[in-house]
Amino acid sequence: MDLTRMRRWAEHEEVDAVVIGTGAGGAPILARLAAAGRSVVALEAGPNWDPADHTPDEIQANELYWTGERLSGGGTPEAFGGNNSGTGVGGSTLHWGAFCPRPRADDFKTASTEGVGADWPLTLDELLPYLLEVEDFIGVSGPADYPWEPGRSYAMPPVARNAPADFMAAGCEALGIRATDGPAAMLSRDRQQPHWGLRPAANNSGSIHQGERTGAKATMDTTYLPFAVGHGAEIRAEAMVHGLERDSTGRITAVVYRQHGVDHRQRTKAVFLCGGGVESPRLLLNLDLANSSDQVGRNYLAHPAAQVWGRFDEPTMMWRGYPSSLITEDFWRSSDDSYASGYLIQSLGVMPVTLATSMARGGMWGERLMDRLEHYDHFAGIGINGECLPSDQNRLTLSDEVDEVGLRRARIDFTFGENEEKITDHGVDVMRRIWEAAGAKDVFVLPRNAHTEGTLRMGDDAGENVVDRDCRSFDVPNLWVCDNSVFPTSMIANPATTIMALALRTADVFLGRPLPA
Amino acid sequence: MSEPIPAAPVVVLLHALGLSSRSWDGVVDALGDPFDCVAIDLPGYGDAAGSDRLTVEQSALVVAERLRALQPDRWLIAGHSMGGKVAAVVTAWAEAGEQGLIAPDGLVLVDASPPSPEPMSEQRRAGMEDWAEDGPVSPAQAERFVDQNAPHALPALRETAVADVQRAAPTAWLQWLERGSLEDWTDAVGVLRTPAVIVASDPGGDLGPAAQRRLTLPHVPGATVQEVDGAGHFVVLEQPQAVADAIAGLWQRVSGPRALPAAFARLIASDRVSAKTRAVMLARLDGPGDAPRALDDAQRDLLTALLARIIPQRGTDLDLAGRIDSQLAAGNDDGWRFGDLPPDVQAWRAGLDTVAAVAPGLADLPAEEQDAWITRFSDGEAGSDEPGLLDGRRMGLWFEDVRGEGVRVWLSHPAAQAWIRYDGFADGGDGERKQGYLRTRAGEREPWQRDWRTGAAR
Ligand SMILES: Cc1cc2nc3c(=O)[nH]c(=O)nc-3n(C[C@H](O)[C@H](O)[C@H](O)COP(=O)(O)OP(=O)(O)OC[C@H]3O[C@@H](n4cnc5c(N)ncnc54)[C@H](O)[C@@H]3O)c2cc1C
Repeated sequence: MDLTRMRRWAEHEEVDAVVIGTGAGGAPILARLAAAGRSVVALEAGPNWDPADHTPDEIQANELYWTGERLSGGGTPEAFGGNNSGTGVGGSTLHWGAFCPRPRADDFKTASTEGVGADWPLTLDELLPYLLEVEDFIGVSGPADYPWEPGRSYAMPPVARNAPADFMAAGCEALGIRATDGPAAMLSRDRQQPHWGLRPAANNSGSIHQGERTGAKATMDTTYLPFAVGHGAEIRAEAMVHGLERDSTGRITAVVYRQHGVDHRQRTKAVFLCGGGVESPRLLLNLDLANSSDQVGRNYLAHPAAQVWGRFDEPTMMWRGYPSSLITEDFWRSSDDSYASGYLIQSLGVMPVTLATSMARGGMWGERLMDRLEHYDHFAGIGINGECLPSDQNRLTLSDEVDEVGLRRARIDFTFGENEEKITDHGVDVMRRIWEAAGAKDVFVLPRNAHTEGTLRMGDDAGENVVDRDCRSFDVPNLWVCDNSVFPTSMIANPATTIMALALRTADVFLGRPLPA
Repeated sequence: MSEPIPAAPVVVLLHALGLSSRSWDGVVDALGDPFDCVAIDLPGYGDAAGSDRLTVEQSALVVAERLRALQPDRWLIAGHSMGGKVAAVVTAWAEAGEQGLIAPDGLVLVDASPPSPEPMSEQRRAGMEDWAEDGPVSPAQAERFVDQNAPHALPALRETAVADVQRAAPTAWLQWLERGSLEDWTDAVGVLRTPAVIVASDPGGDLGPAAQRRLTLPHVPGATVQEVDGAGHFVVLEQPQAVADAIAGLWQRVSGPRALPAAFARLIASDRVSAKTRAVMLARLDGPGDAPRALDDAQRDLLTALLARIIPQRGTDLDLAGRIDSQLAAGNDDGWRFGDLPPDVQAWRAGLDTVAAVAPGLADLPAEEQDAWITRFSDGEAGSDEPGLLDGRRMGLWFEDVRGEGVRVWLSHPAAQAWIRYDGFADGGDGERKQGYLRTRAGEREPWQRDWRTGAAR
């Protein structure tokens, strides 16, 4: 994005707030504070891009991923990098899928309604006004009637369905499962974005995970960040935070970061840590900060995200069209208690290197792998995004290896619990049936998990949580955390718009504004 | 099924200073029917004497326009003297997929003016400039020019050459002598990957064998240098058969299947693909070469053997092990690793050493036995507790990396992408509005989409 004319602060000037990270958590906070006239500086480890700089080439798109090495362990070790972790001005939204289902009221209280997991300190009612504001501001397209919530509608009609969506629709219909166009932060009409300019309607490129080149997909660098800069925020790219200075009372006084090999120190009155579900806890553990509860790094969450694939008679060419254009929420809650909480199903178009790598990692090789890849242009996929409940065994800790700025690397141990297994089994069974009903041949399953959440849980009890219901640290009075990491449960809905909504709410708390009831 | 190989290629022929397309008549005759010869009048010469697109760049653009109109699937380009510099520029563009061109199959440089400033004595340059100072070159000067450069010219070719020199636009003549021949295109041309032949008249003049080895060869390092004994600089007028033999010989050498099917290469070169995407894709055509390595010879050989079974390539024959090795050495990093494996380079060395220790001679076993070992390693059932080696569980994790990296490296190559008929990289070029796709549903296709494996319509 264009940063040439932004307002700049000197390092010795004490700004009202420093925001660490410019993804789904950091960007809306930056925008809200700047619009309220606060002096704010964002420090972003990754580079600044123009959308036109992106490329559909999957290998080159590595440039959008957080490639600082993470160590992955446990029974279902999670892949990082391109699987779930972005970097750059805009954070993971540079390569997110823009799939935007909304959480439901029950999702905030799995403990009190189902006796599993944890309750959020917030309710949907408290967050919904912000979710709607987010959807309106970034532009979400979707169906005119939403089968699972009468009265819900979207401002823009859905983007075109691709071949996997059509097959999923056919399979669901045959089985009596309701399905409709997925809500997506993908424009189906040209629109002017304040402080950015024209964002065109989607052109049916399927390579949006590699960085969308037109602005049709909402990313933070085409929405909240230009708005923030337009209101006087400063964004420093390639600025990796590795230290927080504090005074004798424990308040943070300055943020230390390395930019182009040189350490800098920005004075500030407050800090918003928005580095994502891995980097935020890693920084706090390295600095031994905000951890009186001993909860930092605990309850790491990742959505069960198994996929089912099949070959169809007609060419699908699933690199065309918005990749996940169909959704069913019919399994959001189990009809027969075969699992707690639940999952959604989305249709999938996946680019060839990404898919082939999952296939090979999933155990395929040799002629069998090649026989399948030979039909890549006839493939279509379907996948779940399921609830992940907090567990003691899933934890982010520090390894002894040290990165370029001297921070110890993260080690993440993750193993599906019983409920994640149940959700996966149920989902795979349903998806197989949908695919068979749709006429798929040579159906196969790819086990997977997705997203990086938990680790700095929010809650009302200071002894068991890292931040309070307003995302403020219990230990360090002027430290706020707002990103993936504060989630007590993963929730079924994909997380990004929930994070953005939390971010706006957190900013309103900081600004002392009245909150929605 | 792969792309059909045409019987013969298009041969684009670019002439020397003062001459025209007709200077190639003898070569065209000698090449005969199977070659589809397209001799071009460069701007300012022959029938294009009226053109004022006289710079080297503009001349190359004119050639590019012709090629875009012709759309040859297989083609060679030959440039003589001045035309050689233009041919090198066109080849560089075509290799990079620029100007909508696909790479030629071969390049023939005949007493070529090199991409660098051409060595020419100031006295000779000034003398030649004088000839065109006051208008077209006179009949007497034209004869002298042709005879000096081709003392043994075949009579018919001599006659047309003399007439062409008089037809040449004086501004074109001056443009080449004062500017074009002195322009430095060394970086723009760079090192070409197109197979090439250098034809050098011997003894020749300023552009004879010695100059060709010094100035031209570095741009086409694998090229053979064919010296034509007793020939003058205008060798095409004197010994057209020798030049034709060089062209035909090169075609014979390169006429097998191409690195990329032509239709697919043309898609990469089209305005549906951004310059950045095109550059990263075409750069992958180069193998690992002598890039730094992380594995020793034995480890690399073993990896080659394993990958032959794990990723039995179709439509390509890439050195996957070499590519992975050079990536390891470069420290390419995908952002994570199994926490129970050591860092990548260590893990790959240890994994390969473990295979060598546990399954000695694996590469020489029958295929089924190799596969049985691969299955055991993948399942975590074979490994070693010796220090520095990986136990069974870790071998299982490392084999997952081998499978994942192997297929990733293979499928990132454009030829593999053509083989799976993928065109998702062609979702829009560098224009204000990216083209994307109009059709997204099963069975529907865009008019430009093909079966990229064969180039046939779908
Ligand atoms: C491939 C992919 C597809 C996805 N699809 C969807 C989807 O369809 N729907 C959905 O809702 N969600 C999706 N997500 C998830 C979504 O993108 C994330 O949940 C969301 O962006 C997380 O927001 P965040 O603020 O926590 O972190 P991020 O967006 O990751 O932002 C964190 C930023 O902080 C920076 N940072 C970290 N540490 C430091 C430091 N020490 N100093 C300076 N900067 C630092 C990072 O560089 C990064 O830019 C997807 C994610 C991926 C990767």
